[in-house]
Amino acid sequence: MILETQHIDKYFLEPEKHQVLRDISLSISEGELVSVFGESGSGKSTLLYILSTLDTDFQGNLNIYNQDIKNLTPSALTDFRNKHIGFVYQFHYLLPEFSVLQNVMLPAMKLSQKSKEEIKENALGLLDEVGMKAFAKRPSYQLSGGQQQRVAIARALINDPALIIADEPTGNLDQKNSELIFELLKKITGSRNKAVVIATHDPKIYHNSHCSIEMIDGSIRL
Amino acid sequence: MSKQVFNKTNIFIALQYLFARKKQSFLAAIGVLLGVTTFIVMINFMTGVNDFLDDAVFNGSPDIIVSAKSKKQSTTTSNILSNYIENSNKVDDVLKADENVQSFAHQIISPAILISESKQFPGSINGIFPAQESNMVDLERRLIEGEGFQSLLKENSILLGVSLAKRLQISTGDEIKMILPNGKNTALKVAGVFSFGITTIDNVRTYVSATTLQNLLGKKNSITNIHVKLKDRDDVRLKSYLAENINGIVTEDWKDSNKTIVIGNKVRDILTWSVSFALLLVAGFGIYNILNITVIQKRKDIAVLKTIGYSSNDIVFIFLVQSLIIGVLGAFFGGFFGYIISYLISTTPLDTSDFIIVDTYPINFKMSYYILGFFFGILTTIFAGYFPSKKASKVDPVTIIRGI
Repeated sequence: MILETQHIDKYFLEPEKHQVLRDISLSISEGELVSVFGESGSGKSTLLYILSTLDTDFQGNLNIYNQDIKNLTPSALTDFRNKHIGFVYQFHYLLPEFSVLQNVMLPAMKLSQKSKEEIKENALGLLDEVGMKAFAKRPSYQLSGGQQQRVAIARALINDPALIIADEPTGNLDQKNSELIFELLKKITGSRNKAVVIATHDPKIYHNSHCSIEMIDGSIRL
Repeated sequence: MSKQVFNKTNIFIALQYLFARKKQSFLAAIGVLLGVTTFIVMINFMTGVNDFLDDAVFNGSPDIIVSAKSKKQSTTTSNILSNYIENSNKVDDVLKADENVQSFAHQIISPAILISESKQFPGSINGIFPAQESNMVDLERRLIEGEGFQSLLKENSILLGVSLAKRLQISTGDEIKMILPNGKNTALKVAGVFSFGITTIDNVRTYVSATTLQNLLGKKNSITNIHVKLKDRDDVRLKSYLAENINGIVTEDWKDSNKTIVIGNKVRDILTWSVSFALLLVAGFGIYNILNITVIQKRKDIAVLKTIGYSSNDIVFIFLVQSLIIGVLGAFFGGFFGYIISYLISTTPLDTSDFIIVDTYPINFKMSYYILGFFFGILTTIFAGYFPSKKASKVDPVTIIRGI
């Protein structure tokens, strides 16, 4: 078991008090690809931010790797995220000041458990895996959306986290690139034994996941 | 702070951001550079002038002057007609007992007409005791030619201020005639010429041995002035103590005699600090603006850095390092250019005015001003960088990612 939630409730206080999540309990294991889908405003993004520990303002329990997230101080949480969670966003979010390779290396340089050479080697290996090795030296802003998203997946994997969170990873991509990205995420789940959580609108993704969760009005539809 | 934020990775990220905006970073550094350069040049020049005047005036004249109370009119150092101090022993006792007195010297001062082969001018003749006076005035440093006070151990020798010597068209070794108010005249040999750099002194002052002057005036063992040098010049309580407790004397301190110079020094100080401060403030705003804009433009990137494991403290450090690098570069080159400009000023010939005599502008190259300027520059950038950095660290990743 990598991730487990118990009875998570979440309220937005502005513009007026409004319950976004109701009694969310779920668990995700290694090698599982879970997709969360639902209409806009159903709470799937909010749930994703809570699962990714970016948002800690909720009621209920969240355990990742047997660690109660609520017990961590903000800086311990940052370190925890660095080590155990990888992110892929809808809008790729590579840092344009850095090269493709540097973007992939950044989380590992923060973790600083390996030498720079080792990190570089790992990063190049990952870039190879996502088919982007040839672009390693390029400034990241020169890449297309699909290419950036592949690099973002390599970046999410660099610290070998147990959990990958992807927020609409194909939302901004054409058909071909969407399929490519999904295939990559599926491959990671299988070959690397990660738990992957994807928030998506794409029926192809939620129909092909190990498990798909539909969100309606802040609750999981069973 | 759970982890050390000062690490290679954070510095690498900071540098990467800095180089991505070379032009703005460069301009910000130029701002600091101008501030520090101006500070250095101004403080070098202003304190140079201050020190020059202090040195010339305060070392050329005593801190406290004791003279006899005039029965007719008020007395000044150069205009005394036979007013002799009667209670000099009592004054000496007080001076010897006072801890703030560094040294003191007796003088007999008289006006006289000095006559060379071609010219004649009035002068103020200071009859001094060489052993005492050498503790008061460092004449060796002021000598242009000839010998200092020790030459006055010989009878009938005279030391002259450079302007007076020039006007009399005489130099060391020449003879001049001196006519005293009582009609006595005598021939004196010029033993040396000195310059304090202040026209009012160099134009009139001469030194002869006190015994020579006493003999000529027929006033053995009489003196007109006692000059006092203090350890702490600002503590002039002694001045009023003497005047109140000993009859027949008046006292004057350096503040009374040099009011315009004291005020001038203050004005120059205020000018230096306020102008430098204003310039550094402007430079600081430059840095603040650039970093602030960067933080606003880079909110997404900051959010990403936070999600991939960079803490708020890392973010503060990354942005603060950028402003610090701008500050260090600006301050360093500011000090460098400040030195060059100060040096150029110090070699610029200065037309001698009526007030001071000096070949080039006086400049004070004191190291501490360079250190001060450097730290001022850096302090400004730390202040200017802190607020945008703090703002950056408060970026909430969820808001940013959701807000797209």
